[in-house]
Amino acid sequence: MAAPPLSSSSSAASDLMRDRAFRRSFSLPSARFSATCAASPAGGHCHYYAYPRSSDGAAAVGTLYDVLGLAAGATAREIKQAYRRLARACHPDAAGGGREGASADEFMRVHAAYATLSDPNKRAEYDRRMVTSAAARRPPPFHYRPSSSSASYYSPPAAPSSSSPSPRFPGRTWETDQCW
Amino acid sequence: MMRGPSIIICLGVATWIATRQKAAGLIAPLPEALKWLTAYVTLWMKYPIITEMAEQPYTVASDSETSHDDKQSSFPDLALGIDIGTSKCSVAIWNGSHVELLRNTRNQKLMRSYVLFRDEIPTGGVSEELPHDDQEIFSGSAVFNMKRLIGRVDTDPVVHASKSLPFLVQTLDIGVRPFIAALVNNVWRSTSPEEVLAIFLVELKAMAEVQLKRPVRNVVLTIPVAFSRFQQTRIERACAMAGLQILRLMPEPTAVALLYAQQQQKGIQENMGSGCEKVAVIFNMGAGYCDVAVTATAGGVSQIKALLGCTVGGEDMLQNVMRRLVPDFGSLCSNHSMEAIKSLGLLRTVTQDAIHKLSTQSSVSINVDMSMGPKICCSLDQALFEAANKDVFQTCENLVRQCLFDAKVGAEDIDDVILVGGCTRIPKIRSLVLGLCKKESTCEGINPLEAAVCGAALEGAVASGISDPSGSLDLLTILVTPLSLGIRADGDKFIPIINRNTAVPSRKDMLFTTSHDNQTEALIVVYEGEGKTTEENHFLGYFKITGIPPGPKGSAEISICMDIDASNVLRVLAGAIFPSTQLPASPFIEVRMPTLDDGHGLCAQALTKMYGSSLGLCTVERKIPQ
Repeated sequence: MAAPPLSSSSSAASDLMRDRAFRRSFSLPSARFSATCAASPAGGHCHYYAYPRSSDGAAAVGTLYDVLGLAAGATAREIKQAYRRLARACHPDAAGGGREGASADEFMRVHAAYATLSDPNKRAEYDRRMVTSAAARRPPPFHYRPSSSSASYYSPPAAPSSSSPSPRFPGRTWETDQCW
Repeated sequence: MMRGPSIIICLGVATWIATRQKAAGLIAPLPEALKWLTAYVTLWMKYPIITEMAEQPYTVASDSETSHDDKQSSFPDLALGIDIGTSKCSVAIWNGSHVELLRNTRNQKLMRSYVLFRDEIPTGGVSEELPHDDQEIFSGSAVFNMKRLIGRVDTDPVVHASKSLPFLVQTLDIGVRPFIAALVNNVWRSTSPEEVLAIFLVELKAMAEVQLKRPVRNVVLTIPVAFSRFQQTRIERACAMAGLQILRLMPEPTAVALLYAQQQQKGIQENMGSGCEKVAVIFNMGAGYCDVAVTATAGGVSQIKALLGCTVGGEDMLQNVMRRLVPDFGSLCSNHSMEAIKSLGLLRTVTQDAIHKLSTQSSVSINVDMSMGPKICCSLDQALFEAANKDVFQTCENLVRQCLFDAKVGAEDIDDVILVGGCTRIPKIRSLVLGLCKKESTCEGINPLEAAVCGAALEGAVASGISDPSGSLDLLTILVTPLSLGIRADGDKFIPIINRNTAVPSRKDMLFTTSHDNQTEALIVVYEGEGKTTEENHFLGYFKITGIPPGPKGSAEISICMDIDASNVLRVLAGAIFPSTQLPASPFIEVRMPTLDDGHGLCAQALTKMYGSSLGLCTVERKIPQ
């Protein structure tokens, strides 16, 4: 599996900023992954388990919620269910050989998403950060209305979030802030 | 090239004859048959290469006359599940609809783990008509408890505790492997735990091959949680010597968790999608080890929340009681005269028997007249037994508490408590674990002595790619690392990179920096364990990275990445990167761990002596994200 070149994440300036914000938050500089790739002889395990990769087309795999295929407001139970379902599909033991290399990575990505979202504290922090980084994008270079642009960017593509342009995130984060 | 298959044929024939004879009511075994069997074993030991050829299918022995045995498996490569216990072993296989334990010629499902060295030919007594008695096993000629000794260096307390065993365990306390020997014709003949285990596995394999009428190669083995990765390589070595390939090494409680998941799945088929998640605490205590796991199970997926293990078991309790009974126990152990061995053997038999009885009786009287040492005539009751083993119970309690804490599970969240292993028959252990989990009774339908091997057989079927139409093999265990993995840094500190209870497969990386000005090389020393300093942990290996850009100390960035892949192999990847560009300063080095060929404590000392802290590393303060 070829490692995606680092430079692929360079699109809009704001994209870069967002990427950096995510990187900081997970302390996973993607350069290190390209470094590990360069060193790995087989190239077999070069990949990034840091998903908040922001190339334009990959906006679909932007958030941890997307990794689990959930809406941002998913309940703890839904998160657990999604995790189990995906684990069945992509855990190397369950996949039964064949595509082992890819499975391990897929599972790690799913597990990382689950690990963050199943912990109320980490989830609240993550949600908050998502909003901040969205706020960093707030002065939009595009013609979208600010609120809808941030919402559509971060909610999963499956969910027709554009139909609910209300800024869900700030409100929800406020809730979690209060809870935790 | 034909030697391998022909030997198997001979074995098949020989054992078949032996079985036939037994069926015909003849008590004496056919000498030829046994001779072949033992020759087979010894040959295997001498020429491990045969195992390569033995894979070829054979037909002669099984095709000719197979009327009375219909266990012919329809899955040619189905892996066996083997539970090598410190005291008992068992073998099980998925037979198409459920797990079945294989029985030896004495109709036993649980076979005592030992190898008796006698007249050139070692034997584990798996398929012998008559069992060896305690007197013979405790005579110094037999080596047992190999699971406690395997992969340990002679500074290990567990090895020291094993010095009270009847065979010879000699230590020099310098961090090399202990000297282990069995008494053969009044001479101590050296062996190793790996070798002993291999001989035993060969017999188990032969037994399974005769019953399944096919060569057996793939196995799933259960291991204690407390096993280090180095010890795992020793187990792999023993299996390779026996011609077995390990598909999985499962920590024992996770095998039990798999069985539990299957039972849950069977009970509530409609619950797919984790309608109701069940949290179970699995407590496993055998003769050599004690493990605890917390698992959350739903829809056939059991997610291990936490694993914890230690090297406390029935053997320790036995020794504690023997120490109580005989005041000068230590001197009796260090004296390796025939007389002393005999006395110790007798004491061991009697004490073991008494402890077993104490699980159902309130008190047992012990009467033993040892030729050396005092004549013992006393009664052992619960109070005395518990007083002698206070520390053991305390360790168990701490283990359960810590595991529940790690899993972030409170007593009120627990649905089931599963007790496995021989020691969980001890009333005090039962009440202790149930008390901590605030439960009245244990989970029903799980056989404490067979659960681990059944789980291993299930995993064997799953890992062999067998699918069951009824969905009872639709199982998955999400494992976690039982011990933290990390490196030496900040002087002699152990810095974990992958923490304990991280789901595998996993990959974590961390930045380190140089500890001296203009340091261009760094030594990466990898450890496994929970201790704060390196010497408390298991040493796995080391390597050196070079080409660090010179500069003041703390300026270089060294990235160390640890990766556990789908087959549980650990790789460490390290190299220096330019802080400005984040690009590698020179090619990274990737090393598969453990690199050590032998568990050398010596090696770590030599590294320190040679390099001190000149090639040391320091941790980098984590930049706190805004």
